[in-house]
Amino acid sequence: MTRFQDRTTAGALAQGKVKRRTILRGLAGGGIATVLGLKAPAVLANSRPFEGVTLQGACFQHVFHEHVKAYLPEFEEASGMKVQIDFQAFPVYNQRMDLELSTRGSSYDFINITFPYSGRWVGAGWLHPLDDFIADANITAEGWDADDFVSGTRAPFFNAEGQTCGFPWEAGAMMAGYARFDLMEAAGFGIPETLEEFEAMNRALHGKDGFAAYVNDKLHHWNFPPYLMNFGGGVFRGAPEDLMPILDTAEAAEAAHYYAALLSDYGARGVLSFTDDQALRMQLNGQANARTNAMAWVLPLTQSPDSKVRETTRYGMIPRGKAGSFPGSNANGYGIPAEARQKEAAWAFIQWATSKETFRKIALERGGLATPRRSIIDDPEYRQRLMINGQDVASIYLKVLEEAGEGGYMKYRTVPVFPQVGDKLNKAIERIASGQMSAADAMKAAQSEAIDDLRKAGIAL
Amino acid sequence: MTMADTTQFLSRREKIIANLAVILLAVMTLLPFLWFVIMSFKPVDQIFAGVSGLFFTPTLENYAGLVNERFVRSIWNSIVTSTVSTGLALVIGVPGAYALSRAGLKRDRTMSLLILASRMAPPVAFAIPYFLVYRTLGLLDTQLGLIIVYLTFNLALVVWLMRNFFDATPRELEEAAWIDGASLWGTFVRIVLPMSIPAVLTTGMLCFLYSWNDFFFALTLTRNSAMTAPVEVVNFMNYEGWEWGKIAAGGTLIMAPVLVFSLLMRKYLVAGMTAGAVKG
Repeated sequence: MTRFQDRTTAGALAQGKVKRRTILRGLAGGGIATVLGLKAPAVLANSRPFEGVTLQGACFQHVFHEHVKAYLPEFEEASGMKVQIDFQAFPVYNQRMDLELSTRGSSYDFINITFPYSGRWVGAGWLHPLDDFIADANITAEGWDADDFVSGTRAPFFNAEGQTCGFPWEAGAMMAGYARFDLMEAAGFGIPETLEEFEAMNRALHGKDGFAAYVNDKLHHWNFPPYLMNFGGGVFRGAPEDLMPILDTAEAAEAAHYYAALLSDYGARGVLSFTDDQALRMQLNGQANARTNAMAWVLPLTQSPDSKVRETTRYGMIPRGKAGSFPGSNANGYGIPAEARQKEAAWAFIQWATSKETFRKIALERGGLATPRRSIIDDPEYRQRLMINGQDVASIYLKVLEEAGEGGYMKYRTVPVFPQVGDKLNKAIERIASGQMSAADAMKAAQSEAIDDLRKAGIAL
Repeated sequence: MTMADTTQFLSRREKIIANLAVILLAVMTLLPFLWFVIMSFKPVDQIFAGVSGLFFTPTLENYAGLVNERFVRSIWNSIVTSTVSTGLALVIGVPGAYALSRAGLKRDRTMSLLILASRMAPPVAFAIPYFLVYRTLGLLDTQLGLIIVYLTFNLALVVWLMRNFFDATPRELEEAAWIDGASLWGTFVRIVLPMSIPAVLTTGMLCFLYSWNDFFFALTLTRNSAMTAPVEVVNFMNYEGWEWGKIAAGGTLIMAPVLVFSLLMRKYLVAGMTAGAVKG
C-alpha cells in the first residue's frame, strides 16, 4: 500500500518522538473516533494524532459547509489539526479548481468534488484513490461504513478502474415540486404519474393571470435527460465505455419536443434564460407551479422563510414516460488531490465530515437534509423531518437515489466529456423552444456537433 | 470649426432630431446601469417582481449585507493593486515613451509595436504561464502578483499612447530649454511633463480602469487573501441561489469611484483624448 506522510508528523516520526503505529491507532480508535460517534478504547480517547498539522481545503460556498464549520472545533480538538477551508462561489471555485488540478497543484489537501466536474476530475486521475485508506483499519474507524452511502451517491466518484476517489457530502435526487397543489386540486388533478397527465395538468393551469404552469432553469443538460430517458432515449450509447452520442434517434426527438413544449407553451415568460434562483423564486412567490429538479431546489418551497406556498406545495416523482422513470441524481463530494501533501490528515477530515454522526447532527440539528447515508435517511427522526404536508418526502428521495444507483443510468454524467455533449443539449432545447428549429433537426444538429467535439477531444467513436 | 459652429448649418427640425437621437442613445447606453443601480435599492423579494416591482420602498439592506470583512478586504485589494500598478506604469512608461519618441532609434516603430504585442494576445494565453510561475514563486494570491500582471499590461498601453502624444508635440520648447542650459531629464520634468498632464491623466485613467475592472487575472491568480472586488461580487452567485441584491449593490459600489473620478476629471479626459489628434 502506498503511504503518504504528513509534513509535521513525518518530522516527529523522524525524531523518534512519536511512533507511527501510535498515530494510526490513535486516529482509528481515539479522539477522532469519539467525534465520529464510534466506540473508542478509553486509553486513546484523548489522543491528538495530528497535533500541529494545518490542513488546507477548498470548497464552493454551500450551506453544508457552514454546518461543517459549526462542528469543526470538535474535530480540531479531537484530532489536534487545524482545518482551513477556502470558500469560493460555485463558478469561481470550479474555474480555479480545474486549473489547480489540471496543473497538478498541491496547494490543497482536500477539495470539494463538484458533481458536473466529477467525471473530468476523477477520470483524468487528478484525485487520489481512497480504497487503500478505507481498507486500512489503522486509519479508518471500524464503524465508519462506506457501504452505508446509498449506492447512487457514490457513482460519480468511481474511476474507470472502479476505485473510489471521493465520498459524497450531499445527494441530489430529482423530483417534482408542485407549488400550487391547491390550483391542481381545484382543476381536478392529483399528483401526475405519467407525462400525459403532466401535460394535461399544465395545459389546464397555464396562463391564468400570468400564472405559469411549469418553470425550470436553463441547465437543460441536467433537467432534460430524465425526460429523454422516459421516452426511451439516451445521451450515450453505452457510457462510460461506448461514448457515441445517440441524440438523433426518434425517441430523443420526441422527448426534446415534449420538454421544449413544456418550456415554450407552459413555461414562465423568459424561462429560457432563467437561473436556478429565478426559477425557484417564481415558485416561492406562487407565480409558477411545477418544477422538476433536485430535492435541494424544490424543498425550499416548504422550508424557506420566503415561501408563500408552504401549505400548498406537494411533491412527487417525475412523471414516468413510455420507457419508464429515470429521475436524475447527483452528488457533490470530498476528495484528495493526487499531489496533496497531507493525504492521511485529509482522509481523517473526510472521514469525520462524512461520518454517520456528523451527517446525523447536520440533518437533525441544522436541517441539512440532502444526506447521502442510508442509515440517516432510515432514521425515524429524519423521516419525521421530511414528513411534509402529509407526504413522506424521504421515501421519494431514497427511491430516486436507489433507482439511480441500481439502474446505472446516471453514468452518462460521470464521463469526462459530458460537459461538451451537455452543451449541445442546452443549445438544442433552446433552438426548439424558441422556434428556430424542429425537434428532429435540432437533435440531429446536436448529434453532429457532439460527435465533432468528442473527436476533437480525442474520443474514438 | 467647433461642434457649436457645425450646428449653425442645421435647421430647427434637424437639431431636434439630432438632440433626440443623442438622448435616445444616452438612454440606451445608461439604462442597464440605471436598472442595476435601482436593483441595488430594492428589497430582495421585489427584484424580479415584474411590473409590480416598479414601485417599491428603497432599502439599504443590500449594501448593509456587504459590510463584512471579506468584501471590505476585496475593495482594499482592488484599490491597492489598481493604484500601485497604474502609478508604476506611469512612472516607468511615460519616460520610456518620451525616450522612444525623441531618441530617433532605428526601427523604433517596430519596438513600439513589440511593446504593444503583450496587449494583442487574449488574457487566457498568459493565464496558465503566470499561474505556474506564480505558484513556484509563491506569488499566487498576493497583491504583488496582481500588481506585476497589471503593470505588464498597463506599461504597454502607457508607452503606446504617450509615445503618440509626444510625437505630436512640437520640440521647440524643449530645444529652448536646452539652449537655456536645462538637462534632458530637467527638460522632461519641467517642460514636457506639465504640458502632458491631460494625456497622462487620460492614460492613467485607462490603466486604472483596466486594473480595477479586471476579472480574469484576479480570478485565476488569487484565492481569498488578494481577491479583488469584481471577483468577490461573483461570490454572491452561490450554489443555492444568486444574491441579486448584493450583486447589484456590489457592482454599484465598484462602479461608483470610477464614475465619480471620471466626472471630476472629464475636462482633462476630453483634452487628453484629443491631444495629439492634430499635429503641430
